[in-house]
Amino acid sequence: MSDEMHLTAHHDLAPGEEEQHSVGERILGYVVGLALALLLTATSFFIAGTDLVWQPSIPVALIVLAIAQMGVHLVFFLHITTGPDNTNNVLALAFGLLIVFLVVGGTVWIMAHLNANMPPMDQIMRMQ
Amino acid sequence: MLGKLDWSAIPFDQPIPLVAGAVVLVAILAVLIWVVVKGHLPYLWREWITSVDHKRIGVMYILLASVMLLRGGSDAIMMRIQQAVAYQSQGYLPPEHYNQIFSAHGTIMIFFVAMPFVIGLMNLIVPLQLGVRDVAFPTLNSVGFWLTATGALLVNISLVVGEFARTGWLAFPPLSELSYSPGVGVDYYAWSLQISGVGTLLAGINLVTTVLKLRTKGMNYLRMPMFCWTTLASNLLIVAAFPILTATLAMLLLDRYLGFHFFTNEAGGNVMMFMNLIWAWGHPEVYILVLPAFGIFSEVVSTFSGKALFGYRSMVLATMAICVISFMVWLHHFFTMGAGPDVNAIFGIASMIIAVPTGVKIYNWLFTMYGGRIRFATPMLWAVGFMVTFIIGGLTGVLVAVPPADFMLHNSMFLVAHFHNVIIGGVLFGAFAGFEYWFPKAFGFRLDERWGKAAFWFTFLGFYVTFMPLYIVGMLGMTRRMQHYDVAAWRPWMIVAAVGMAVLTIGVICQIMQLVVSIRNREALRDRTGDPWDGRSLEWATSSPPPVFNFAFHPDVRGEDAYWAMKAHARQQSFEHEVPEYQDIEMPRNSPTGFVCAFFATIMGFALIWHIWWMVILGGIGAFATFVVFAWRDHDEYVIPAEEVARIDRVNLEERRSLVSMAGAV
Repeated sequence: MSDEMHLTAHHDLAPGEEEQHSVGERILGYVVGLALALLLTATSFFIAGTDLVWQPSIPVALIVLAIAQMGVHLVFFLHITTGPDNTNNVLALAFGLLIVFLVVGGTVWIMAHLNANMPPMDQIMRMQ
Repeated sequence: MLGKLDWSAIPFDQPIPLVAGAVVLVAILAVLIWVVVKGHLPYLWREWITSVDHKRIGVMYILLASVMLLRGGSDAIMMRIQQAVAYQSQGYLPPEHYNQIFSAHGTIMIFFVAMPFVIGLMNLIVPLQLGVRDVAFPTLNSVGFWLTATGALLVNISLVVGEFARTGWLAFPPLSELSYSPGVGVDYYAWSLQISGVGTLLAGINLVTTVLKLRTKGMNYLRMPMFCWTTLASNLLIVAAFPILTATLAMLLLDRYLGFHFFTNEAGGNVMMFMNLIWAWGHPEVYILVLPAFGIFSEVVSTFSGKALFGYRSMVLATMAICVISFMVWLHHFFTMGAGPDVNAIFGIASMIIAVPTGVKIYNWLFTMYGGRIRFATPMLWAVGFMVTFIIGGLTGVLVAVPPADFMLHNSMFLVAHFHNVIIGGVLFGAFAGFEYWFPKAFGFRLDERWGKAAFWFTFLGFYVTFMPLYIVGMLGMTRRMQHYDVAAWRPWMIVAAVGMAVLTIGVICQIMQLVVSIRNREALRDRTGDPWDGRSLEWATSSPPPVFNFAFHPDVRGEDAYWAMKAHARQQSFEHEVPEYQDIEMPRNSPTGFVCAFFATIMGFALIWHIWWMVILGGIGAFATFVVFAWRDHDEYVIPAEEVARIDRVNLEERRSLVSMAGAV
């Protein structure tokens, strides 16, 4: 089977077969990733509980830190790069993000309209 | 000890399910005894049950779908008879039984007929069309199939042990919540879909990877046959949409088992969220089913018109456009829920937009036929029948996509007629076309054309006689799922629909006869060339049935319609008589992992339905242990020596050479 994998395109390899770096280099990558992930996690916990910053900025800061966390995971643990061997993975990620955006965004939008148009009975009574 | 299970679970007071169940049980036992007595069991175990060969798994998927088609079809016959007789009377089916029948009919037809049929055809053909030796994950493929079979088995167990859901095929809450459906029916529904849903997801991942990663030399994306493109789109949708179904049903199960309040009326639950989520899966699902059918029609129309597919690139574009837009239209299933004009208008427009790429496809097929030398063999009849029927279904679909019209037609028989029009006319006709077209490839002999054509005409006419009256009664105000009714104007149409059902049944009988007659006459119908239809894509480049390794050499693809080009080349130059150098081929070993895994999943599912907790743990440990044993195995491949490859391939090469030289002489 393995010969087929190499047939379509030489640079398009299955995950796990891709990098031929030395072990030390790979361990270094994972350690850096772990350190960054821990740093971001610690910062999130710190920000959530602190009163050193302007309070309304905390949710925004948490969102930014969460997105950064996802980025760290994608780059260091899932090995998403911009290289030509990663086109499929990047496209899959983009497709996934699009679907999540459509489903979650659409759901929020639909449910908000539903709630506005069909509030519970006591609220309707109050409006009349 | 046995949870909720006791003797009252067997419906001794209801003769219909009991007799039906007894007949099925006797039939299964008879087949099993026959298999054991005749000594076929080792063969079945070695060659089929543990097989990881994509062709064998594909055939088993289609077999499962065919058996379940008979079950779902019997439900349909019962419903048509009930509605024909239940005018100002109770008919012959009590309401609770009738409700189970329409729920089981929908669930079975979508999840255990349409899905396994298209996945089976994709499994069987896509690796051959790509010119490769197997799918990306052969054992995972087997696991996926057997988990689907587990789901089907659980649904059928509900016929005699306990009951099935009475909630319709999507089990809308609050009806499906514990307070309104305290029985095990909804649990049967949810657990069988959860288990088979895992199987479907595995199949989806496997086929996406196969198309993206395993293609033969020179097979660029834009040289792939259309069926591979629609397979890619359909399986991308599976990977994206099925987790939504799993999550939604998991929330419903949490409500039912652990007292959560996701979708309950009280304690802050939101019933509307269920509709929203289930249709966020449900709408992509209809494209998961129909896109492979579009691919099959593309192959069939092009082969039997003797022309390359018209507008190949526009077809690719249309397929991928449908793949994305199908995630933007789900609200049109609940326009009447009250989201208001803004939301309804946007989703209404999106629903009309998705008709555009579908229209592009129809024109492409018509232009492929235009000026072609058309052969009206059975697969082509199904394709032409599809085009006529699907246009009607598509137009009524655009009609219900208009929100104001939908407020009139929502949940009416018009809607029932519409979705049967697109699912039968689209998916089922496509599945039958693919079945007739690729059967010689899978088994090495053609199907009988006379019975095939009879099956087509009876099914085609039967479809119109059955479902056109439903459009009319829908216009007359009849709602769906009525156990009885008092409106005299509906009666004649319901009787016509029942007559149509009888014609459809004759169509199914013709299909079975076709299979029986063809198997009897298989020597006369034998296809020695591997290319019975003068095909264009690579699956016809190997023998029928293909050897376990599919191709002795990886075909070298230099353009679209790869095999057509090879044949043209060979005719001009005649085959070069050089002796190719054969090499050893490594193939994946068969593995009982899928079957054993599904065995434990069945135990676990059944135990979860009946609250038998020790058995749940037993099944869970068993399934996990199976996984561990599989993950730690050492020998996962075996070698077919070069001499063996050469021996198998030479036979095929001789046949093919004589075919080409004969064609050259003419």
